[in-house]
Amino acid sequence: MRLPKFEYFAPKSLEAALSLLSEQKEGAHVLAGGTDIIVKMNHGRLKPKALIALEAIMGLKGIRFHAQGGLTIGATARLAEVAFHSDIVTHYPAVAHAAQVMANVGVRNMGTVAGNLCNAAPSADTAPPLIAMNAEVTLASLKGERRLPLDQFFEGPGLTAMEPGEIMTSISVPFPPSQSGGSYKRISARCGVDIAAVGVGVMVILDGKTCREARIVLGAVAPVPMRAAKAESLMQGQEWTQKLIHEVADQAAQEAKPISDVRASAEYRRKMVAVLTRRALEEAHERASKQ
Amino acid sequence: MMKQFNIVGKDIPRTDAPTKARGAALYTDDMKLPGMLHGRLLRSPLPHALIKNIDTSRAASLPGVKCVITAEDTPKIKYGNWRLFPDTQDEYPLAVDKVRFIGDELAAVAAVDKDTAEEALELIKVEYEELPGVFDVDSASRPGAPIIHYYCPNNISVNRKIKYGDVDKGFSESDYVREDTFTVHAVSHAYLEPCSALAQVDLDGRITLWTSTQVPYIVQCLLASTLGMRENDIRVIKPFIGGGFGGKMELRTWEVCAALMAKKTGRPVKFTLSREEEFLAGRRRHPMKIHSKVGFKKDGTLVAKDLKIQLDGGAYNAMGPTATFLCGNFGAMLYRYPNYRFHGEHIYTNKPPASAMRGFGAPQSLYATEIQMNIAAEELGIDPVDLRLKNAQVSGDKIPDVATISSCGFVDSIKAVADMSGWKEKRKSLKPGQGIGIGCYSFISGGVFNWFNTQYPFSAAEIRAFSDGTVHLLTMASDIGQGSDTVLKQILAEELGLAMEDIRITSADTSMTPQADLGSWGSRVTLMAGNAVLDAARKIKEHLFGAVSARFNLNVIHELECKNGRVQSKVKADYGTSFGEAVAMVQKANRGEPLVARGSYTPRDKGLVTPAFGFGAQVAEVEVDKETGLVNVKQMWTAHDCGTVINPRSVEGQLAGSIQMGLGYALSEQLVMEGGNTLNTNFADYKMPMATDMPPSKVVHVDTYEPEGPMGAKEAGEGLASPTAPAISDAVYHATGYRCKDLPITPEKILQALEKEE
Repeated sequence: MRLPKFEYFAPKSLEAALSLLSEQKEGAHVLAGGTDIIVKMNHGRLKPKALIALEAIMGLKGIRFHAQGGLTIGATARLAEVAFHSDIVTHYPAVAHAAQVMANVGVRNMGTVAGNLCNAAPSADTAPPLIAMNAEVTLASLKGERRLPLDQFFEGPGLTAMEPGEIMTSISVPFPPSQSGGSYKRISARCGVDIAAVGVGVMVILDGKTCREARIVLGAVAPVPMRAAKAESLMQGQEWTQKLIHEVADQAAQEAKPISDVRASAEYRRKMVAVLTRRALEEAHERASKQ
Repeated sequence: MMKQFNIVGKDIPRTDAPTKARGAALYTDDMKLPGMLHGRLLRSPLPHALIKNIDTSRAASLPGVKCVITAEDTPKIKYGNWRLFPDTQDEYPLAVDKVRFIGDELAAVAAVDKDTAEEALELIKVEYEELPGVFDVDSASRPGAPIIHYYCPNNISVNRKIKYGDVDKGFSESDYVREDTFTVHAVSHAYLEPCSALAQVDLDGRITLWTSTQVPYIVQCLLASTLGMRENDIRVIKPFIGGGFGGKMELRTWEVCAALMAKKTGRPVKFTLSREEEFLAGRRRHPMKIHSKVGFKKDGTLVAKDLKIQLDGGAYNAMGPTATFLCGNFGAMLYRYPNYRFHGEHIYTNKPPASAMRGFGAPQSLYATEIQMNIAAEELGIDPVDLRLKNAQVSGDKIPDVATISSCGFVDSIKAVADMSGWKEKRKSLKPGQGIGIGCYSFISGGVFNWFNTQYPFSAAEIRAFSDGTVHLLTMASDIGQGSDTVLKQILAEELGLAMEDIRITSADTSMTPQADLGSWGSRVTLMAGNAVLDAARKIKEHLFGAVSARFNLNVIHELECKNGRVQSKVKADYGTSFGEAVAMVQKANRGEPLVARGSYTPRDKGLVTPAFGFGAQVAEVEVDKETGLVNVKQMWTAHDCGTVINPRSVEGQLAGSIQMGLGYALSEQLVMEGGNTLNTNFADYKMPMATDMPPSKVVHVDTYEPEGPMGAKEAGEGLASPTAPAISDAVYHATGYRCKDLPITPEKILQALEKEE
């Protein structure tokens, strides 16, 4: 397939990138790792007039972590950097795990968390654990910056709450509360390299034997990564028991809105939501109990 | 039995490995010629339709487009590999009047670059009259079904029957009779090099074609007949090939189009398929519906088998006739069936044609055989290993209408694999969710039946010996990545007492290498081309021995040998010279005439199936997650008999590749189709197992010596493709109680079965 003709920009500052984006208007796309955009262009599914690469903007690189401020993942931080970053592995193991198991080595070496989120595939692996951990995204435009909770970011397959002229500059995740734990579980047909057929990210906050709060986020079973709100509320303030976890897992499965496609049937996906929710909750509980 | 070898049996590194590892090997698509045009094919978007009109005028006038052709520009001559039966030749290079599957080729464009050619395709206007399509063997063979080829009103293009003994009487004398229906699905060869062909026209109008093929000679002959040319006007050269697995063993559309368009434009034309095209329209393994009935005595002795197989052939015959014949032979190749009946039907459907694929009907047929053996073992209360030992073919067994089995290490293979896997305890004592299972195979070492109707030997070799102590081996045998160049050099080096580096090889160039070789398929190359090389080498040796004998005035009773670069008396090595000096003496005696010998091999008096059989047994251990239905294959054990192992590392490579393919066939690979359309046309959604999915594997090569094979060798390339799926399937049954009779084994099927059980 012929690559459409397009202009390529690699501005060195965010301001320059934002100006370019507003000048070029529709048809301009922001490029981070390119692992989604270039593939789409190669298959003729995307014909941008201009690509604005973020690579040269120093301020968007890297990962920062403070015990008070929490974690900030820059827009051009690679998935591979996230996967084995020692603070992320220690404090956000669910996020690290998602970045470790998604896609393949090549994609992880080029792709970014920001790109994974902005591509807005329902199966995006980094979304469920990040939503579960209360992540926010920072969106910059010429008008200024705004922060948006990640669970309000997705609007449909490929659709987000980003306004024209906005660039995602970073993802922020608060420092995990005490007695909390997170987990991400995914399933796919092939163990090595694959797209998730179902993914579940959770975070639980304990108060002794009681579950103070739980967040359960389902991937690849709805048009967007979705929170299983009723399942979450079933857990709130309840004593942690095996029975409860089974009920919550079944409730999460009820809430999922899966479709059948080449990767799995809707029925199977729904069943797997229950299994993965339970397993994720168990792992999160174990992690929370150790804190 | 074991002979002493110097080079055969050693881990000789592949001669092509450094080149490939450096990325220096040139595949067809790497080649560029001055003025070369790029071709693209227009494919049907409909599974079944009449072509009312094709308007190529807009495409032809697009700047950069140099040639647009449809069937009207071709001689409209049909082709197909079964030249012996012209009725089976059912394919035109470009569709005439009708398209029969989504992806059927209608027109071709050649332009200055690939993008322009692609753009031109969109400008071709085709008017269709859509016809109803049929997508499975049941609806295609029903009376009144849409007719896919007018010559074949019932859509059944091949009927094959085998019968011996008295099957009905056999069943009436059986204590236990078992009847099952199995369905197996299509999978893709998924060779890493997509098909590619580059054609150039010489000044005298003759064509040179570089093409990614397993069968240069077949392509040469069929390209000639399809273009109305003479065979000698076509030169086919096989460059480096990135795998074939049966998917590149026919003349294909782009080869014809490249040649024809090169003739029309006077410029070289290259076609390379995309991965999407390969998945959408490429050849694949036959889906089959297999009905099998077997009868046993109480003690487990097999009495009778009645096998009916319907092959879903897709829109054209391709290599389907061979698969139809062979799946019937494979049905009775592993065990002794005193009474056997087979009926195979090759059925047209509006899907991409199925064709040869590693195992050539065996993976399907043996899946049914092996699963049914395991079911029977359980119901008869006999260990599956013991039931197999009781009925296994042994050396000297005669398979009626096929052949008498010469070397056969089947029993030893079963015993060895049971032993190394700890079968007896594990079958009894694994934890819930864990399982162990067995699958076996038998395979051919090349075919005998001359469906291509060649007038030449099946394999040939020419050896030119030089006074500098080197030789040049010329052979049409095709190294497609399996390593035949290395293996043939090993055989020759062994026979002539030379080192690997003393041998230069030229292979698979139809105008330079000796006629003929039927190609790389059916696990035929080591045995057949190996024998041809030996035949030529022995003729060379006769000349050398004569010269050395004369030079040293040896008594005629002296035996001579070629060893360590010398030609010498076996008992007195002093009576001898270097290989090069011996060659020089022969040349002198012949007044300068170069020392050249031709050798050939054609199987004769070996029945109609194969000159030699390979055997083996495999055990898989799995762990099944009973909540997700996911299967983790933890370990594979294999014991097999391929005769003399010429290159252990290559054989182990064949085994690893077979396990990888078997894993995909059993568990993850399938072409997801809807109304004739393939939905998963990329490697993200076509779930071929990756290196990280591979289980650990242990292997034992059972020691046998095949008298018909070169230095005792026989097949190792395809037989191993069969046992993995039944072994895994049996292990899954052992772990979960789910007996899979319709491949692939998916997590969903396992969960459904487990729910039913509860």
